[in-house]
Amino acid sequence: MMNNRFLVLLSGLVVAAAVTWLSAIAAAGQARSKPYTGLRTPDGQPDLQGFWTNATYTPLERPKNITKEFYTRAEALEIMKRQAVEEAEQTQPGTIPDVHYDFTQFGLDRSQGAMALNLRTSLIVDPPDGRLPALSADGRRRADERAAARKSRGGPHDAVQNEPLGARCILMDRNGPPMLGGAYNNTYQIMQAPGYVMILVEMLHDARIIPLDGRPQLPPNVRQWTGSSRGRWEGPTLVIETANLNDKFAFQGASENMRLTERFTRVDDDTLRYQFTVDDPSTWTSRWSAEVPWKKDKGPIFEHACHEGNYGLYNTLAGARAEDKRAADEAAKKKSQK
Amino acid sequence: MRNGLPTALATSLALMLAVMTAGGQSRAYRAPRAADGKPNFNGIWQAVNEAYWDVEAHAAAPGPVELGAAHATAGGLSIIDGGTIPYKPEALKKKQENYANRLTLDPEIKCYLPGVPRANYMPYPFQIIQGPKYIMMVYTFAGAVRTIYMDEHKEAPADSWMGWSNGHWEGETLVVDTSGFNDQTWFDRAGNFHSDALHIVERLTATGPEHLSYEATIEDPNVFTRAWKISMPLYRRLEKNAQLMEFRCVEFVEELIYGHLRKKPSQ
Amino acid sequence: MRTRRAVAGVGIALLLAAAPVMAHHAFSAEFDINKPFKLRGTLTKWEMINPHSWFHLDVKDESGSVVPWMIEGGSPNQLIKNGVTKNTLVVGTELVIEGYQAKDGANKGVGRNLLLADGRRLFLGSTETEK
Repeated sequence: MMNNRFLVLLSGLVVAAAVTWLSAIAAAGQARSKPYTGLRTPDGQPDLQGFWTNATYTPLERPKNITKEFYTRAEALEIMKRQAVEEAEQTQPGTIPDVHYDFTQFGLDRSQGAMALNLRTSLIVDPPDGRLPALSADGRRRADERAAARKSRGGPHDAVQNEPLGARCILMDRNGPPMLGGAYNNTYQIMQAPGYVMILVEMLHDARIIPLDGRPQLPPNVRQWTGSSRGRWEGPTLVIETANLNDKFAFQGASENMRLTERFTRVDDDTLRYQFTVDDPSTWTSRWSAEVPWKKDKGPIFEHACHEGNYGLYNTLAGARAEDKRAADEAAKKKSQK
Repeated sequence: MRNGLPTALATSLALMLAVMTAGGQSRAYRAPRAADGKPNFNGIWQAVNEAYWDVEAHAAAPGPVELGAAHATAGGLSIIDGGTIPYKPEALKKKQENYANRLTLDPEIKCYLPGVPRANYMPYPFQIIQGPKYIMMVYTFAGAVRTIYMDEHKEAPADSWMGWSNGHWEGETLVVDTSGFNDQTWFDRAGNFHSDALHIVERLTATGPEHLSYEATIEDPNVFTRAWKISMPLYRRLEKNAQLMEFRCVEFVEELIYGHLRKKPSQ
Repeated sequence: MRTRRAVAGVGIALLLAAAPVMAHHAFSAEFDINKPFKLRGTLTKWEMINPHSWFHLDVKDESGSVVPWMIEGGSPNQLIKNGVTKNTLVVGTELVIEGYQAKDGANKGVGRNLLLADGRRLFLGSTETEK
């Protein structure tokens, strides 16, 4: 049993591993700068195919006391190194973070896989302050209504419908759209066939199939979790327009009227630039945009049968009901002792 | 030509006629090519039969009382060579138990991934996205996805609902060899089942611009006495702008699975 | 130097705050922080599934009878990318698991540390020199 070379995948000292990971990123970051004029698919389209990851430490919004748009290389690498070390650190017994399996043990730290170097201080590039624009009056009203509705539904474990969409295996940030990286399993596979681009999202085994033939969006009464997407090429860039969202995913508080434009451009052999613009006047006073580098990753993408394997959700609800019963029994005991 | 055609010409004409009407190998349809020279199976396809109710021949039967005729089983012919599934005796008992309890046990009810070959004949379209290294089959129900590895063939790293598929071309035919299944899926709504030893070899061949012939040889030494084969045509969805719609069905079954764990209102 | 370090220092704190891991909250609802355990048992099955994998163990309790436990671990997806398969962790392997028990009292838990009998961590993680 001990002979199996994968049983214990020694990664060396935590800090040493982080440094190795980081130097690979730094080296890759130095290599590019010429515009990419590379591969095309057999039918002449820019080739975006392969496995990619949008794993990142960069927050969506610029941290409050940072005013500049870019870190220096040295600053960015230092931040990444500290993040990597922090990710791999052991949690303290008896603390909430300790009540969890060890991400590092399963290779689920972001620093254990590919990651693009990003000097930006935020993913948001517009507005220029790197933060979400102000909510419109409609947006404020809806945020209040949603908060009130959440409150009236009770506690987070009172019913399955109160749990986060990700815990219910319905939708995660990796899916969106827009597609944003999360803690782990941030891999995507892009394939191109005549007239279509397919983006397979690792999480929830979501295959976004985007037609490129200029057909119209679905009719306005048809609302889907991932909306309706239509693609076209603008030179080297794949442009995807999405509408017909429902009001349940509510990306960053968005309404069902949100219109999303995503753009993919291959920067070099190992990097895609992913940009998106959110247009939702029912929520924000202006459009806003973000940019995320995607790094070449490796496959395979193993089946993410989330709902099928979701013992955890069942256990969470059962555990909450067990706690309720304990609390009720104790209250009854106290009452009978009076 | 009063004396008939010269013998040689008559012979060759007869030969040609024989070959054309033989219906088989020498005049097989040749599909348009994908960029890599392989038959192009890209597109949106759908089976049109009643196998999703029951892969064996079956008569119409009632469904849940409150749904009357709307969810009654439609009758259908068998899609199996030889008609019936060759169950081992103990396995047949389990199938019958499954059938008797199908309205609670069918994994389709819980929005679970449908497995293979069931996904191919559920009554919804699926899409083939074809490349030289990977062929993706994307299904409507529960957004199920299969990756067919065309280039590097590996063993399944772990069991899954949709299995691990290794594919290769044999002339005009796509041959897909799938194993690494868990034992959780059914073949239909009638309780036909398998173990995690399931092994399937599918063969897809274009028989015309809008038709594929689909065959699957199914074996599972834990459940069946021998391998058995199903077959059916697959039809291209020809509507302008045909597309797969989202079928995120988890929401539709949450009450059924988790409803009993809802917090009771305090007295 | 001073400015750069200060910037980096603040940046990290906020970066960490900005990249939440939702799973933490649900786990501390599923498992009881006041019920830590350390089990030794033999593996009967490793369910390599998503969203989280599950280790099934036969554990001998104080009276010597065998009690089956199931322990939650991470998604197997990144391990699979690194070559781990269902043949890597063999049935019968002795494991030592430190974790927290399920709130509903069942013989279930989350495996905080998964160790082989010789004390080495399963799969990836820090080495002895880290301690």
